[in-house]
This record gives sequence, C-alpha cells and structure tokens, in this order.
Amino acid sequence: MKPLYKLSIFLFLFVIVTSCSDDDSSGDDLTGTGMVKIEFDNSVAGDDLILGSSYTNSQNETLTIDRLNYIVSNFRLTDADGNVYTYPKDQGYFITSEETGNTEVVLVDVPAGRYTSLTFGIGVDQEKYLLGAEGQGDLLTEAESTNMMWSWQAGYKFLNFEGTFTSATVTDATDFKIHMGSHGSSLDNYKETTLSLGTEALVSDDMTPIVHLVANAGNILDGNNKILLTEQAVIMVSEEKSPKIATNTSNMFTVDHVHNGDGSSH
Amino acid sequence: MKYLAWAMLLITLVACNEEDGGYIDIEDNERLTVAIPSNFPPMVYQIEENPPTRYGFELGKKLFYDGKLSANGFISCGFCHEQRFSFTHHGHQFSHGIDDKEGTRNTPSIANMAFFSEFAWDGATSHLDLFPIIPITNEVEMGETMTGVLEKLRADSDYQKAFKAAFEDGGVNHENFLKAIAQFMVMMVSYNSKYDKYVRNEDGVALTEEELHGLHIFQQKCASCHTTDLFSDGSFRNNGLPPNPGINDIGRAEVSGSVNDNHKFKVPSLRNVTLTAPYMHDGRFGSLESVLNFYQNGVQDSPTLDPLLKTEEGFGISMNDAEKMALIAFLGTLTDEEFINDERFAEY
Repeated sequence: MKPLYKLSIFLFLFVIVTSCSDDDSSGDDLTGTGMVKIEFDNSVAGDDLILGSSYTNSQNETLTIDRLNYIVSNFRLTDADGNVYTYPKDQGYFITSEETGNTEVVLVDVPAGRYTSLTFGIGVDQEKYLLGAEGQGDLLTEAESTNMMWSWQAGYKFLNFEGTFTSATVTDATDFKIHMGSHGSSLDNYKETTLSLGTEALVSDDMTPIVHLVANAGNILDGNNKILLTEQAVIMVSEEKSPKIATNTSNMFTVDHVHNGDGSSH
Repeated sequence: MKYLAWAMLLITLVACNEEDGGYIDIEDNERLTVAIPSNFPPMVYQIEENPPTRYGFELGKKLFYDGKLSANGFISCGFCHEQRFSFTHHGHQFSHGIDDKEGTRNTPSIANMAFFSEFAWDGATSHLDLFPIIPITNEVEMGETMTGVLEKLRADSDYQKAFKAAFEDGGVNHENFLKAIAQFMVMMVSYNSKYDKYVRNEDGVALTEEELHGLHIFQQKCASCHTTDLFSDGSFRNNGLPPNPGINDIGRAEVSGSVNDNHKFKVPSLRNVTLTAPYMHDGRFGSLESVLNFYQNGVQDSPTLDPLLKTEEGFGISMNDAEKMALIAFLGTLTDEEFINDERFAEY
C-alpha cells in the first residue's frame, strides 16, 4: 500500500515537474500561501504510545507512561535551494500533549514552495523568555493548563514525561517524573532539530502538506544518552542529566512520511 | 541643579490620535516617570516593553494589595512585603502564607528591582515580569494558580474596568496582569536615603564622623559583594552560613542543579537594611550586630564558600568592635524615609 502510494506521489511530482520544465523551473506553479500541518505521532520504539501501557527498554526498565507533553517552537522550512522560511516567532510556540490528544501543529500563511527540510526547537529559548510578560502572551496560560508551567522556576517545562516504572531492583511500580526545562539563567536546555522531509512538501493556495512525524518517547531515557530511572526516578533540575535528556528528546523525532494534497486527510 | 543630574524619562504617551474609534478613552492614561538616580547603575528592566502608566500602575497596586491573588483570599503580596519595612515581612523569620503554612526563606525587599537581572534568593527567574508566578503558585505562600487568579479577576467588574483603563487591548489576561504588577514594582525606587543625598551632594547633607568611618570600612570589607549604590552585585554566593539542618536549603543549586551552587544565595541589597530584620535568606539573625558577629566569627568553610571570605588568617571578615559600631552607623544612613512613606506605594 505504502510503496504504491509513494510511487503515485512520485509520479504526480514527476508530472508536475515535467509539465513545468519549459518554464523557469523555480516553482512558479505553486503560488500564494498555504498551511503546513505537522502531526506529532508519539510512539515507543516502533510501537504506538498508549498512555497506561507498559514498555520495556534496552536498559531492562519497564515504563508505564501516563503523561507525555512537550513544547515545540520556532519552526523553519527550507527548500531545495536553501531558502528558509521562518515562522513568525510571536506565533511560534505550541504545546503538544498526548493526554489531551493535541498533537498537531498547524502553521498558517506559509509562502508557496517546495520544502525539503524542517527545523524546530524543543522548548522555549531564552530570547523568548526574556521578552517578559509581553513576549509570553497566552503561552503561560496554556502552559499552566497543560502542566507545563514550571512555577518555582517561573518558566516552562519543555518536557513533562511521567508514569511509573519497575526494574530488576525496583520491583514495586514506582513513580517517575521527568521535567526538563532551562535552569534559570544558568543552563539553557532549549535544543533544535532539523529533519529532512524525504519528499518535497508542497505548499500553495490549494496545497496543504501534512508532515507526519514520529516521536519515539523511548528515546527520552534510552537514546544516545542512557538514563536509569532505577538510579534516579525524579529528574527535574540536574546539571548532568537534564541536558542529556534534552539532547535525547531533540533526537526523538523522525519523518515518517509527507502527504501532499489539500490537507484534509492522511 | 547640576547636582540633581538625574536622568529622567519624560516621555508622554500620546495614544489614539485620529484613529481613535472612541472605544476606550486612554488619553489621560499618561506615562509615568521612573526615577533613575544618578548614583545608580543603569536600569536593567526594558522599560519600553512595558512603560508604566497611571492606570497600569494603579492596577498593579490594586493587585499587589489584593488577597484575591491567593487561594484563601487573604494573602496579598503586601501581606509579606510591608512598605514600612521596605517591603519585607518584619519580625518573621520565615514568611507564612495561606493556612499559616510556613516557607523556608525570609521575605526579601522589593525596592529597586528594575535595576536587577535575577530575582528571588535563588534567581528562580531572570525577568521581573514573571516573578509573581512564584509566590502565587507556591503552596506555602499564596497557593493559587495563575488561571485561578484570572478567573476571579474576570468576574470582578472593578477589575474589568481597571484592565480596560490600563491597557489598550484591555484584556484580563496573564500578560496584562503581569505587566501591571511589574509596573508597580518598577516604580519602587529607593534612592533618597541620607547616604544618597550625601553622595549626590544634595541639600548640604553630610555624614557624621562615625558614619564616614563606617563607610570607609564598608568599602574595604563589604563592597566587593555589596557593590555599587544598589549595594549588591546581584550574584549568588555562599557566605558560609552553616546550613540549617532542619531545612538544608541548597539555594541557587535548586535552580541550576549544579553542586557548585550549593548553599549560594543572591547577595541582598543593603538599602533600608536597618528596617529589614531579620537577616539572611532564612532570617536567622535578629540584629545587624549578630550579622557582623557572624562574619567575624561564624563563617563555616565548605566546597562552595565564597573565595572572598577565605583569607590567610582564616574564614570570614576581621573586624573589631569599634569597626562594627561604625559599620552599623553607616548602614543606618541607607534608610530612605521618603521611600517607606511614599503614598504612591501605600496600601491605605
């Protein structure tokens, strides 16, 4: 099914590209502005993430995940020529939440183009934070309602990952809480990731691509950096572990596929 | 006049000229002037992002003194920050919040906050606007949620009017709420103590011989941390207080997560210090004499003890009794009667 689908997209692109070949090949066929939808499909090492279900990782810890919320921000789209479109910063912060089902980011008024890669941040950069009340706008309100306000740091949790776990030595289900954010002015845990889209995402007045990302929550503790809950189950402000978690989190995203079309379904 | 070389921001906000659709008349919401004393370092607060206005300031003051900001409706900001003690909680080692719950830290003064870049004893926020989130949501202080506060304010017609008067968009929202309180705090500049008038050569004010002697000792022994005429460099330091074993507050390390920051707290300003007992982050000392005795005899070594307190003779600051008396006399010149009696900031 999928290869066929990809083939059809390929053919479609081929037709479009060849049909334009007499013109200046800079993409004149795509005009105006459109939306880009980005779906954050939370998973654990290839399995769908279902809150309340358990997953065993490579460190032989079994996690039952009850919460996975994270902030994504500062989206940038790059086309094959290296032109970068930066989404307006004052609208550029989104809280995704598995428990509320709010896992789609919709970018609006994106200039028409053929975009080949996507860059975004995980969390809130210092520049945004230091804009004070003016710069936060409604983000604080939204953060408080989604357990992403970090009140004793007067800031944001970039990641709120909670549940229970067991391991060889921790046999009773024990709460774990991973809250990651910047540590006041002393440690900035905001990180960005850049993903190749694999195919072009086509944006125009009537083309709204859906970028389907998979976020592998298993990577948060069991990525390049190995974090053992057995050693420490509540990690909120750790000079050593929080940056590792931030790096693991920024590396948890992959592009599964891109749907080009009117954006109504995928 | 040349002595009065205070840089004053005198920009009048002229809002809504021709395009005023007549929704809200904010013409009389004039911009307020923030005092920038000539003997202070530059202001840190980005005043153009949130310029204090008459109604913004009044709204901030109303909020500051309103118990609605707490869960039980009784604990306002002004409950712990009392003007006559330079906005500290006099007589309380730890400040107590809702349901008589006690915190673990002593209420710091909020004078001259516009000139600092880190807030709270541990620097939990680096923007003044966002500071109120900490006490409002702390379960032993005001025990509320930001959203809960806004719901109460939205249901109150006085507040609806006050927000409309203060802000062009008029919304009762987090942004305007935090801006209003910040406007109130930004205006709180304490700069008219006897010391200030002495250094600015105003009104022929002179220090006594003992006060001058104290100033001299201060400059030698205290001013490397209590720098500038703010009397703080805003940094986080471990001054060698033996940790209170019942609490073991690790200070800045709570925020940074770094063991290098264990037991470090923000260097407090010494303005109005005669009024702000008890002293230290945990309010353990009832008098300035005890504070100086501690620096003379009580400083405890630890891996994070500030290097400035380690000398060849040992830990702490060597002082004799006469020097301590002179220092206390000098510190008395930092009391600013105009500030603590300024009706603009008064609850009633």
